[in-house]
Amino acid sequence: MAQTTKIFKEDILFHEFNTTETDYNQRGYHLEVALEVNQVRKFAQKAYDHGFYPVFVTGFHVLPEQTEDGTTSGLKVVYQFARHDRLYRIKGQVSVPEDMSIPSICDIYEGANWHERETRDLYGVNFDGHPNLKPLLLSDEDQDFHPLLKEEEKLKSLEAVSWSAEAPDSAEADKKDASE
Amino acid sequence: MTFGIACCAIEMMGTGMARFDISRYGSEVFRPSPRQSDLMIVAGTVNKKLAPVLLTLYEQMPSPKWVIALGNCAISGGPFKVKENYNIIEGVDKLISVDVYVPGCPPRPEGLLEGILKLQEKITGVRHPLPQNRHPGSPLRKVKGLKPK
Amino acid sequence: MLESDFQERNRFFLNMGPQHPSTHGVLLIVLEMSGEYVLDPQPVLGFIHRMHEKMAESRPCQSFMPNTARMDYVCALPYNHGYVSLIERKAGIEVPRRAEYIRVITSELNRIASHLLWLGAYLLDLGAFTPILYGFDDREHILDILEDITGSRLTYCYYRFGGVSRDIDDKFVDATRAFIKRLRKRFVIYEKLVTKNIIFIKRAENIGIVSPDMAIRYGITGPNLRGSGIAYDVRKNEPYSVYPEFDFEIPVGEQGDCLDRYMVRVREMEQSLRIIEQALDRLPEGPVRGKVPKNIKLSPGDCNFAVEAARGELSYYLVGDGTGVPYRLKIRVPSYSNLSCLPELGRGILLPDLVSILGSFDLVIPEMDR
Repeated sequence: MAQTTKIFKEDILFHEFNTTETDYNQRGYHLEVALEVNQVRKFAQKAYDHGFYPVFVTGFHVLPEQTEDGTTSGLKVVYQFARHDRLYRIKGQVSVPEDMSIPSICDIYEGANWHERETRDLYGVNFDGHPNLKPLLLSDEDQDFHPLLKEEEKLKSLEAVSWSAEAPDSAEADKKDASE
Repeated sequence: MTFGIACCAIEMMGTGMARFDISRYGSEVFRPSPRQSDLMIVAGTVNKKLAPVLLTLYEQMPSPKWVIALGNCAISGGPFKVKENYNIIEGVDKLISVDVYVPGCPPRPEGLLEGILKLQEKITGVRHPLPQNRHPGSPLRKVKGLKPK
Repeated sequence: MLESDFQERNRFFLNMGPQHPSTHGVLLIVLEMSGEYVLDPQPVLGFIHRMHEKMAESRPCQSFMPNTARMDYVCALPYNHGYVSLIERKAGIEVPRRAEYIRVITSELNRIASHLLWLGAYLLDLGAFTPILYGFDDREHILDILEDITGSRLTYCYYRFGGVSRDIDDKFVDATRAFIKRLRKRFVIYEKLVTKNIIFIKRAENIGIVSPDMAIRYGITGPNLRGSGIAYDVRKNEPYSVYPEFDFEIPVGEQGDCLDRYMVRVREMEQSLRIIEQALDRLPEGPVRGKVPKNIKLSPGDCNFAVEAARGELSYYLVGDGTGVPYRLKIRVPSYSNLSCLPELGRGILLPDLVSILGSFDLVIPEMDR
């Protein structure tokens, strides 16, 4: 029933990014890539050149954290790509900085156009270079209302919602620690 | 006029089809244009974005007009009437006046047929005001309860 | 095409929807037209945005089940399937084999019902009134079979974490076998009435050609992708449940026009019948619900699960935080990506061809708006 997911090292086509192999049976995807803001477009271009199709672009909201570049906004944007010819799903995650804008990948993948518009509607993330950031799901007068942002008391930190080596179901011996 | 928005629209289509035939009760013609219809069946959830559209269509219908609210969403917001609701109009009767409510999620086609018969009863005072196979001008056309003019 | 000054002088905007006679739902397409030619179609969504993702974040994961059925109500069981499989993968719940077989049989029956409704609605858009009556008649048989065990006609909530809620009995098995025999004979009627009909062929051939590169750029999946020649089906590429045990083909088209998408769906119905027959022959005995903890806790971390809905690849993406309430649930619906290629595909075509393309894409708008 479960798909065998041994990935050989040649398959990992994203060596220049901060990648982690993950257990497909536990997580549903094979590779997890932690991206910087300036690596987003290179990642998307690499994926397009290798024949991946965009599954979705979305976000989620955690507590803002301190990094060496300053405070992040607490929003994360998640990209997922997959392939037609074999089973290989990859996930890229990027932290949105405090000015709430990250580069858009619309000119590489036109399908991301609507996904980015929706992420802007629901979370308020601005995508630089997007041709048309009008509201998609909400009405025009609700442009500044971002419904999926969580209230203060419900926000959790990134560690509280990420996989860690001490979690009871992670039993793989060679699984690396996956908290970003 | 069918304002089939969501899941209840499929049951409305099913009512018009061969098994639960709605043309038996005289309501066969589903006209998509509001100018030519006198009954609006609101089938589905009404949104903040959709509310002006609904009002425009309702005002374009000529009088006399009636409205059936089909399904729980049109009656009261249905399964989407929750605490964190930011978008759903809780019930179409907050916007326009409704004559018959047909509950269910989605209601069975028999429910919609009963709703139409109840509406016919509301308008004329009699259930089944149209005898099924009598010509309107025929002297054999007698319906109990309807007084001749 | 057109002369450019003629184009300039005769531009106007036309609103197609949100209330229009074809039954796709509340979709507004703002068409910039010049005469009968469409210059730029821009879809406007959001008229049935029902905040499913927000509701998932504020209730325990068991209470989200009715929402999954109301997103795509025409083919609700694969949505149920994806959600319960996601939670089972996250929480490590085992499902008994009999339950998996029942899930496959009911999902495939629902897929056939969805394709029959699509066939009727597509031909109704093109102006033919008879096929929808036949399609709904066949569909009512499926609805009767499924109503016996699930209790509803349209928005099913039949699957539970760890299995299904009720077992099937001999009545179900006999009724399904009789239905399979009946539907095979009815396919001959559809073949003669629709597939070999010259009017339909003229309206569907060479219209709305989706190239494989376009499909990759937009993330198009499902029969729309298979019509363009790429044989990608989640049931074969990323098998879940007990699909690896069945022998079925993936029908593929060649060109990517409306006729190819139509043929792919018709042949998919036949393949679904094959799957159901094999499943009924090999149905194992056993319980229909596995052991499920009383309070399901979703461990911290994210998880993804993809299934093949009738319209394409449906993915659920969950971020858990240690409690029983999901922290974030993202539902990737196939029609969203399928429709996003309309501005590129619909440039410079005739308006009736646009109707034909929209019909052949098999869109359900409430699943797009979630």
